[in-house]
Amino acid sequence: MGLRTGIRTGLIAAIVTIFLILIGVHMLMGRLLQSWFYVPAHWPGVWLMVVLLGLWAGSRAVGQMKARSWGNALLAGASAGIIQGALAGAALYLLASITQAGVDLRAWLTQMSQESIAALTLGLAPLPAAGFIGGVLLVSALAGAAWREWRLRVHAARLARGERTVSLRERLLEIPAVAQVSSNPLSRRVLMGVFMVLLLIAPFFLGQYWNYNLGTVGIYVILGLGLNIVVGMAGLLDLGYVAFFAVGAYTMALLTAPQPHHIQMSFWLALPIGVLLAAIAGILLGIPVLRMRGDYLAIVTLGFGEIIRILSKSDVLTGFTGGPRGVRNVGHPVLFGKDIGNEFYFFYFILIGVILAIIITRRLEHSRVGRAWRAMREDEKVAQAMGIYTLKYKLMAFAMGAAMAGFSGAIFASRNSFTGPEDFVLLVSINVLALVIVGGMGSIPGVILGAFVLKGLPEILRELEDYRVLVFGALLVVMMIVRPQGLWPASRPQLERPRPEEEALEEAPAELVEGEVGS
Amino acid sequence: MNILELHGVTKQFGGLVAVSAVDLEVPQGSIFSVIGPNGAGKTTLFNCISGFYRPEAGRIIFDGVSLVGLRPDQIAALGIARTYQNIRLFGRMTAIENILVGQHSRLKSGLAGALFRLPRTRREEQEALDKAHQLLDFVGLSGYGDMFAHNLPYGQQRRLELARALASEPRLLLLDEPAAGMNPRETEELMAFIRRIRDELHLTILLIEHDMRVVMGISDIVAVLDFGEKICEGTPQEVRCNPRVIEAYLGKGVA
Repeated sequence: MGLRTGIRTGLIAAIVTIFLILIGVHMLMGRLLQSWFYVPAHWPGVWLMVVLLGLWAGSRAVGQMKARSWGNALLAGASAGIIQGALAGAALYLLASITQAGVDLRAWLTQMSQESIAALTLGLAPLPAAGFIGGVLLVSALAGAAWREWRLRVHAARLARGERTVSLRERLLEIPAVAQVSSNPLSRRVLMGVFMVLLLIAPFFLGQYWNYNLGTVGIYVILGLGLNIVVGMAGLLDLGYVAFFAVGAYTMALLTAPQPHHIQMSFWLALPIGVLLAAIAGILLGIPVLRMRGDYLAIVTLGFGEIIRILSKSDVLTGFTGGPRGVRNVGHPVLFGKDIGNEFYFFYFILIGVILAIIITRRLEHSRVGRAWRAMREDEKVAQAMGIYTLKYKLMAFAMGAAMAGFSGAIFASRNSFTGPEDFVLLVSINVLALVIVGGMGSIPGVILGAFVLKGLPEILRELEDYRVLVFGALLVVMMIVRPQGLWPASRPQLERPRPEEEALEEAPAELVEGEVGS
Repeated sequence: MNILELHGVTKQFGGLVAVSAVDLEVPQGSIFSVIGPNGAGKTTLFNCISGFYRPEAGRIIFDGVSLVGLRPDQIAALGIARTYQNIRLFGRMTAIENILVGQHSRLKSGLAGALFRLPRTRREEQEALDKAHQLLDFVGLSGYGDMFAHNLPYGQQRRLELARALASEPRLLLLDEPAAGMNPRETEELMAFIRRIRDELHLTILLIEHDMRVVMGISDIVAVLDFGEKICEGTPQEVRCNPRVIEAYLGKGVA
């Protein structure tokens, strides 16, 4: 039992370990530790990764077992560690010998520099080096197994004593101050006020770079809230959402830029036109796909999004849209004769947009319209039988979502002073969908959090350079396994009237008794 | 006076005739049961009435209005509500929200009303919420209003589905095997409750059931379907003794 689980886990762990070494993640860890924690050399980070991988293998092997016994746990840990250590050691032996023979591995594996391998061999000959890494992995795997076994025992004992596990939220609420703030509406409002003030003064301190990035996050919040209406509330999986973003952006660009048309309309006039045209585009897309659901809808909308992008750069329309080169010198907003088209002012502008989008979403969510959308998402047929004209409500959802996308598109084009086909690739749709899912489908704070994580985190991870996307992808996968409902899932509305205490207590048991006495 | 009349309603699926030239006359205020073995075409008949299927032939007239060709939501707005054999609630909405959705066709506010919080909309929402509370009490679900529908126990889900159907203030209530999955005592309670609904809310009930014993006690009229055809109709007593009914249920040779 322990042996088989150990061997299987060891194999998986070995593959992961060798893969991470081959793509050079150990060197990345080394450099990160150097720059973040001022560690003088890069080897502590390198070996930290090795030890962590060993700990993970041992811990995972024990976690996979059902029967609890120390012997089994150590057997599983040891077998996992031996397999992982032996295979990783063999790989290192090969790499080190080939490098020693004078072959430059970088021709095939770009990260396999002399330095990278030396960090693992520590200057030893290939064979002892292989033995060393194997030993380190074995010891860490044993330690990981022992730690996990201990944790599981503590957990089981706690359950046996009748203590239930408490969530982080409950633990936080146990702190008196937190409980008081969260239950008192006034202090919540004060907290919101403080947060708002912080947001309002933030641009004065943040500087150009972060103002710009926060603006981008804001634009994605608006996009996310719009898509949340379509996907989260109405349950229509729209993968071509970027099309409406493009309609908004191109409307702003073509109406305000000097080229290719000499309209040069005011920003303030072009903005509502962009929103309106996007909403109309939403309805136009909506009509042909009304009868589709799920996968079919996703495919058709995906196609629509690509059509818009390809049209915008096609030769036929170059005269109208500016073609592949896009549109330059998109107009800025001008207020009282002052050009307010820089990051600083746009921050506030986007903030207003975000607040508007939040208000719109909140008001719709718990209205007759929002309920009809959510009913449609849950069961379209039954929604129809309840008197909901589903075609009309689908078009409304598409139009609302598209209008928000159009708004953010218009602002996006004006802020960048430029727009072109490359702004509207499929990845934008995917990113917005991902942020809605990661944040928590149907939840407003979830969407905001999701936008910060998806657009903000890559900026923070910038130090990881080439690994940014890899780390980010891994985080998304882990996130979907650990917390599939999203970071901040939608909460249930509390609509039932609070009743007097004793009445409520009597009510429930009477309910249960009724079934037994009733006949 | 008949609130619902079916004349020669026929529904085919390819070569299969699911419902064949069925006539029904449902008097106002009655409890009318349609029974028949599994696969007799009962649910198909329901789907024709509520607008999900369009019959190939025949007329369906509800209170003087022809229903054939109308959309399900239009039919619902005319005052027909239904429940389902396998409960179909809006799972990730709370019990109260389910009832509020049930009121959809009785409410008017639209996008503008919700976005600008017009006084009219706010008043309407408040009234709708009050009514939802009343219905929650009426079906005995007070205390469960804020729970997600899919977290309710089976029996409560059945009641919630009834409350949701009643929320649209229907004149005709279609119940598709409401006693499915219930034990005999629960079934008996449910039947008493159905009679109470009819008496207190003054509506007509059209009931589908495959177990004929269930409906005998409460039905005014019973119609029996077999292989899509109506084989007999009458009071429960008359139907029970009809040799063709016995044959349909128990097979040839028993009668």
